[in-house]
Amino acid sequence: MKAMNKKVYILSFVAVILGLIAGAFFMLVTNNNPLDGYYYLFRGGLMNIERFGNTLATATTLVFTGLSVAFAFRTGLFNIGASGQMLMGGLWATAIALTFQWPKPILLTVIIIGAALSGGLWGGISGWLKGRFNVNEVVSTIMLNWTAYWTIYYVIPKYFKGAFLETESRRIPQEASLRVEWLSSLFNGSYINLGFFLAIIVTIIIAFILNKTTLGYELKAVGFNRLAAEAAGINVQRNIMLSMMISGALAGLGGAVFYVGYASNMQIGVLPAQGFDGIAVSLLGANSPFGVFVAALFFGLLHSGKGFMSAMTSIPPEIADTIIATIIYFAATSILIEKLWDRFRRKGGRE
Amino acid sequence: MFKKRIALFLVLFFVLGTLAGCGGDKAPSEQKNDLKVGMVTDAGTIDDKSFNQGTWEGVVKAAEDFNLDTRYLKPSGTTEADYLREIGNLYDAGYKFVVCPGFKFETAIYEAQNRYEDGKYVIIDGSPVDPDGNAVVKENTVAVYFAEEQSGFLAGLATALQLKEGELGYIGGMEIPPVQKYNWGFQQGVQYANENYGTNLTMKAENVIYQGSFDNVAAGQQLAAQMFDKDVRAIFVAAGSVGIGSINEAKARMGNGEEAWIIGVDVDQYAEGIYEGDKSAVLTSAMKYIDTATYDLIKAELEGNFPGGETLVFDAANNGVGIPRENPNLDDEVEAIVADVYTKLQSGELVVSNERGDLLR
Amino acid sequence: MEYIVEMLNIRKEFPGVVACDDITLQLKKGEIHALLGENGAGKSTLMNILFGLYQPDRGKILVRGQEINISNPNIANDLGIGMVHQHFKLVHNFTVTENIILGYETTKGLVVDIKTASEKIRLLSEQYGLNVDPEAIISNVSVGMQQRVEILKMLYRDAEVLIFDEPTAVLTPQEIEELMKIMKNLIQEGKSIILITHKLKEIKAIADRCTVIRRGQLIGTVNVKDTSQEKMAEMMVGRKVSFRVAKERKEPGSLVLNIKNISVKNPIGVLALKNFSLEVRCGEIVGVAGVDGNGQAELVKALIGLVKVETGDIELKGKSLLNDSIRNRIDQGVAYIPEDRHAYGLILDYNLEENLVLKLYYQEPYSKKGILQKDIISEHGQRVIEHFDIRAGEGSTTIARALSGGNQQKVILGREIDRNPDLLIAVQPTRGLDVGAIEYIHKRLIEQRDKGKAVLLISLELDEILNLSDRIAVINNGELVGLVDGEMANENEIGLMMAGIKRGESDE
Repeated sequence: MKAMNKKVYILSFVAVILGLIAGAFFMLVTNNNPLDGYYYLFRGGLMNIERFGNTLATATTLVFTGLSVAFAFRTGLFNIGASGQMLMGGLWATAIALTFQWPKPILLTVIIIGAALSGGLWGGISGWLKGRFNVNEVVSTIMLNWTAYWTIYYVIPKYFKGAFLETESRRIPQEASLRVEWLSSLFNGSYINLGFFLAIIVTIIIAFILNKTTLGYELKAVGFNRLAAEAAGINVQRNIMLSMMISGALAGLGGAVFYVGYASNMQIGVLPAQGFDGIAVSLLGANSPFGVFVAALFFGLLHSGKGFMSAMTSIPPEIADTIIATIIYFAATSILIEKLWDRFRRKGGRE
Repeated sequence: MFKKRIALFLVLFFVLGTLAGCGGDKAPSEQKNDLKVGMVTDAGTIDDKSFNQGTWEGVVKAAEDFNLDTRYLKPSGTTEADYLREIGNLYDAGYKFVVCPGFKFETAIYEAQNRYEDGKYVIIDGSPVDPDGNAVVKENTVAVYFAEEQSGFLAGLATALQLKEGELGYIGGMEIPPVQKYNWGFQQGVQYANENYGTNLTMKAENVIYQGSFDNVAAGQQLAAQMFDKDVRAIFVAAGSVGIGSINEAKARMGNGEEAWIIGVDVDQYAEGIYEGDKSAVLTSAMKYIDTATYDLIKAELEGNFPGGETLVFDAANNGVGIPRENPNLDDEVEAIVADVYTKLQSGELVVSNERGDLLR
Repeated sequence: MEYIVEMLNIRKEFPGVVACDDITLQLKKGEIHALLGENGAGKSTLMNILFGLYQPDRGKILVRGQEINISNPNIANDLGIGMVHQHFKLVHNFTVTENIILGYETTKGLVVDIKTASEKIRLLSEQYGLNVDPEAIISNVSVGMQQRVEILKMLYRDAEVLIFDEPTAVLTPQEIEELMKIMKNLIQEGKSIILITHKLKEIKAIADRCTVIRRGQLIGTVNVKDTSQEKMAEMMVGRKVSFRVAKERKEPGSLVLNIKNISVKNPIGVLALKNFSLEVRCGEIVGVAGVDGNGQAELVKALIGLVKVETGDIELKGKSLLNDSIRNRIDQGVAYIPEDRHAYGLILDYNLEENLVLKLYYQEPYSKKGILQKDIISEHGQRVIEHFDIRAGEGSTTIARALSGGNQQKVILGREIDRNPDLLIAVQPTRGLDVGAIEYIHKRLIEQRDKGKAVLLISLELDEILNLSDRIAVINNGELVGLVDGEMANENEIGLMMAGIKRGESDE
């Protein structure tokens, strides 16, 4: 098992390197020096403490959505609905933050637990449909994405409308935000927030659940081989539902840290891209919690440094997006690379 | 994700296609002006045929006339943090004159005008807003608004005069003030024509719709199709890419010999509606001259009289709104009447309300 | 005597495996040539090369003395090479004629000329003694008849060389005998046959020559007349094998499993098991014999708890199991060796120690308060691996996928038997295994019986049933045809029962 993990990590690393090389190709054809490009890309995400903080802040949400997708993957489920679950988690978080004036520790605890529950409920619907009626979770999660989208579209302007903007909620007050004074000033006004620490804790918890508990054992067994798990007496329906609930809860937490941490309010008409980026994060991280964490940091760095690269070179933003997408694309195809790798090794071993 | 992949493939084709002719030719660099102008795009692309494009065209025109360095950046999301990060990127890279199109930049610009104090900022369709929701336009910022109701009024008037009678429709994007003002102005323009020029056009409540986004092309097409099926002769679309979908529907119908007019928005969308030769489904467009406004403010900065701290409103009086100068689909007498009414707006003799009153939605 | 097909020095490599290495097979005109080898020896690969599905890396193919490059199955067809697949490729709601002419229709104007085709098929059928009705609908005819339709399909296309891929796997002993007659007719009419099989008895009965391959290597070609079954088995496996499992007669003890008149529906909602009753006692092996698809799968699923029982009752040690979950049944002592070990038996991506606690992990000491106790799980894994002689590269942390089929089956066997169950349900426990592994599994099953456990053995291999069972229950069309004492049973009688003919009815 250990050796296997190591291989997976090497593959992810190779995938990233290949992605960077492919990205360099785009820089070359737009008459830019790839070394400069990557220099500014990474500098943009790391050059000062504020930017470093922003990189971590960007990565925080991706840790949660990445964990969400990875967790479902481990049970053989494809949760494409992390965006919708994020929205529901975010809605709860926003609603609590804008409604109650409790002391900060209590308020944040309620926000976080509630966001996990509502994201979990949203994911659980898909899990229930799958377990009970065998409705494909890809279909149901996509549909629930839009259900969430339009729910937000209605609820936010109706109950939490900003002072004069119809399209976003009121601003989250300082007392209800995951952003805290000492952390912001430590990172020189960055958007980093308590969500980052939550991400670390949750990563460890998820790794523990997957690797050390009977629950994780069952979930993975169902994911690897549903029939054998069932024949061995594991309740498959319950596990599918549970897996989707936990997956949804993780995305819901992502929603909380995004909407009351990174962002300052909730906007309508936006299906957060982090939910879909989570799929790539999960693939790059080989569906393992710590892998996901590292992959999310990497993605955070890319997103965060991209603009500076465009500003400092003549790489237009569209090409910059393409470069990022290429890197992600390669990262996501690490499974393909694995096959090539195996073939290469076998050939190599023979001759 | 999927969009990104599609983008990747498109770019690949583009790159492979142009690779052959790629010789690294660069315009001979002249003496560059010290001012570097940056822009951060709103959600949507730089060639959105609308807001981003209009702003950028103003920047580009200024860059040509005054030989400036320019750059635009695309934020990876739509939160204040995403916007502020790109403003910071431009600032750190030396682009200290930053133009931001859209109300969504309000809080980000507020942060920026404090955080990067020696930068200059232009926000279009909005004002910097502090955490408590108060507009605070500092000395290094100009907030720009347009009188959309006047623009919509003129388009409505022109439409009514041209079509004489029948049913009209409206498709908006999100229900936000600029979009609403277009709608209300349009309805007033139609009424004005009915009352003063004997036309007979009507609008039903069911044909006044806000789609809810600015990017759902398919929805725009569907909504337009439904309206045209209900014998609506012309639809005013103020909805970004949603409107592009509506225009596509109109083009298809016009191509089949059906009558299906669109009134464009923000920029002259005539070219968007061309379905055959130079015949377009776009009757006219309710314009606001974002490019001119942007150009003028850059020029002002170069001349040393940047109106920092002010909130500017561009309307008929300063030629900030109107319909296109050329309208191949409008009769000459219609254009003449519109021009006449335009002067009345300029002089203040005629006032268009920017509130709903007893209009539809 | 000239050769009609020659495959000379064929080599075919797949990523990571050499499927065929320097194999030569020469088919004489008018002979039945057996191709013998264990599963995975390379028989199918070799035949797929002849049929044009794969290209050989090295070597050449001669047909009627001419070197030919068979790049796709159409070329094979044109050369008169036809294959009767193990799994028939027939359209069930078409008639025999329609199936046979499918893709080979003769037309009269724009209309398919069924009449002429049908007449031609009737003649062919008479010529070769196939006894096939050209107008019958496929879904109404027996499996044996369907196979003959497959044969007719080849004859209709003027095939000279017929390849039979494990043709007896789906047949009752009587049907097998008929098939052999048909094959002899074919030879007499000048056809040549390649018979792929691993059943020595059949080879001995019908084949002229036999080519044996083992792990992609050619072991040799022998004249069947001059050799014995033991000799061929040795060639196939690479060492001496014993066929009979020694077991002593034993008196069965108390009642363990009591199946009372159960009826079970199959996935499409049809009653596949009807009013079925069976008892299994301590210290006996009860074999269930039957042709595939006669309700065995439903019987097993009903016992395990994977499907609902419509009527009747299942009792374990006198207590009804019907309302118990799968896990409850496991906990009460039901063990299960599934037919398809990859689908139902193992989590292939789990390592061995994880697989070995698949039915234990939720109990102490393997887990405490929901936390897995890795040390204990690991110890348990190592113990079972040693005890059941499971060969794995990295010991208990080997991924199950990396094991050979035989060792995978040992993992399942180990997991089930180690729990000391009262009832062991073994379904096709030796399917796809080599002779060595079969021997081992059989010994373990007997051992369970001798330890006083109840064993229910469900198998399609009649030899296996006859070898192991104390009593044999024969199932046909979801119904119990009869029970036969294992000692007394003979193949012929059971074969008739498998075809649905009750004892004593056979004379009618």
